[in-house]
Amino acid sequence: MRSALLLFFFGIVFCPYVTAKEYALIAHPNTPPLNLKQIRAIYLKKLSRIDNIALVPLNLGAKDPLRQRFERHILHMSFQRLKSYWSQQHYLGHRPPLSMKSQQSLLSFVKHVEGAIAYIDACNIDNGVQVLYRWSD
Amino acid sequence: MPLKTLIRRVLLSLSLLIVSPLYPESGYTLGKGLQIGSLPVYVGGYFSIDYRNRDDEQRYRIDDIALLSYGGNDTLSYMLELEYKEFYVQTRDARDTTVARDTHLYIERLYLDYNINEHYRLRVGKYNSPIGFWNLMHINVLRETTSNPVASHILYPMFTTGANLTYSTFYNVAWQADLIVQHGKAIDNGYNNYAMNRHAGVGVTYGDEDFTCKISGGYFRKTKRYNNRDIYYALVAAKYETDTYVLQTELGSQRSGSETTVPYAGYLQGAYSLTQRHIGIVRFEAYRNNTLDESDRFIVLGYTYRPLYPVALKSEYQWHTRYRGNQFLLSVSVLF
Repeated sequence: MRSALLLFFFGIVFCPYVTAKEYALIAHPNTPPLNLKQIRAIYLKKLSRIDNIALVPLNLGAKDPLRQRFERHILHMSFQRLKSYWSQQHYLGHRPPLSMKSQQSLLSFVKHVEGAIAYIDACNIDNGVQVLYRWSD
Repeated sequence: MPLKTLIRRVLLSLSLLIVSPLYPESGYTLGKGLQIGSLPVYVGGYFSIDYRNRDDEQRYRIDDIALLSYGGNDTLSYMLELEYKEFYVQTRDARDTTVARDTHLYIERLYLDYNINEHYRLRVGKYNSPIGFWNLMHINVLRETTSNPVASHILYPMFTTGANLTYSTFYNVAWQADLIVQHGKAIDNGYNNYAMNRHAGVGVTYGDEDFTCKISGGYFRKTKRYNNRDIYYALVAAKYETDTYVLQTELGSQRSGSETTVPYAGYLQGAYSLTQRHIGIVRFEAYRNNTLDESDRFIVLGYTYRPLYPVALKSEYQWHTRYRGNQFLLSVSVLF
């Protein structure tokens, strides 16, 4: 009985960690290390170059669940706030990051284009990219 | 080309941009402009109509009809904004109804940006003076209320024709410094709150995620028609923004020689998103203008409905301490 209770307790405590999915921010191997505030600034197009490398942030489609997680966890902005932000930027002559349909496209782009940055499921990472940051739900 | 034909064509182009979201295959999203083919060139625009009711007067106005075009690459880019301002204004009072039309197509912005390196950018042409927050986002559809705070148009020139050198750096926080220079005649000087031929200003901005503050100061010289008067200004501004509310304040002063022309002009505004589409706004304003021997303190209470972000239906009521200052405003504005 005692071991059954212990098992139940540990299950409750650790289950979210066991099942939590992991995500990663990836960049072209030549990109210098970036902290989360810099990544946020890059995705808001407030920072466009670093060490004279033009930065190319990439998004998944607007309704992709991973994009929504990225916007919530890394950009700390709601979908509505981002919409208003990009409308204001349109008036200032700035465009939002490029969007791609699949993680495979993002991965391929990041491998081949210097300065490219994207987010993917951690299980899709391969050796051709640099991992900047990992997070989970 | 006759003016009427030109206006008809501009209006037709704008209406095409507005209805094109009905056809998703066009790839157009309202409020984000339209790319010209596969070129790095975008077009968009905005318009606004408004209504004002005071104790003794009613005004109906087609205020802005504007066309934007911008584009370029990482190094060189441009911005062009053409605008009909106060295109149609009908005013009614107890005695009369008057109609005024301004069919001049103004150049509101026209500039080239050259990104020298990751820290420096040079802008040349006519641009919004980078002073405070309101002045950079002053079009109806993007601001929170139909009215503009008095501090945003009595202290400094809203537009500058010349050069703007910007230095920016970012690590954990953002720092930006602006240098503004105008020496000579402005592009479309009639479309500015001050007719001037010189302007020199500096500004420093600090930003950390949701908080930004800015301090600006400078000098400008009014044109000969206004006796080449030299005017000095200073402005401090701060903004705190979250997903649900925005707090913003600006406070400034203006001097000319030994005279303090505007001892103070400022506002404090809070905007709260009740839901994604409904926004409540409250703004407190106060100013003293010695040139006009005028002062006022007032409260603005507003409500904005945005069925989509680039479409705004706004209402507001203003309670003034100044005699007959109270007014009610309504507006509809769209960014496309």
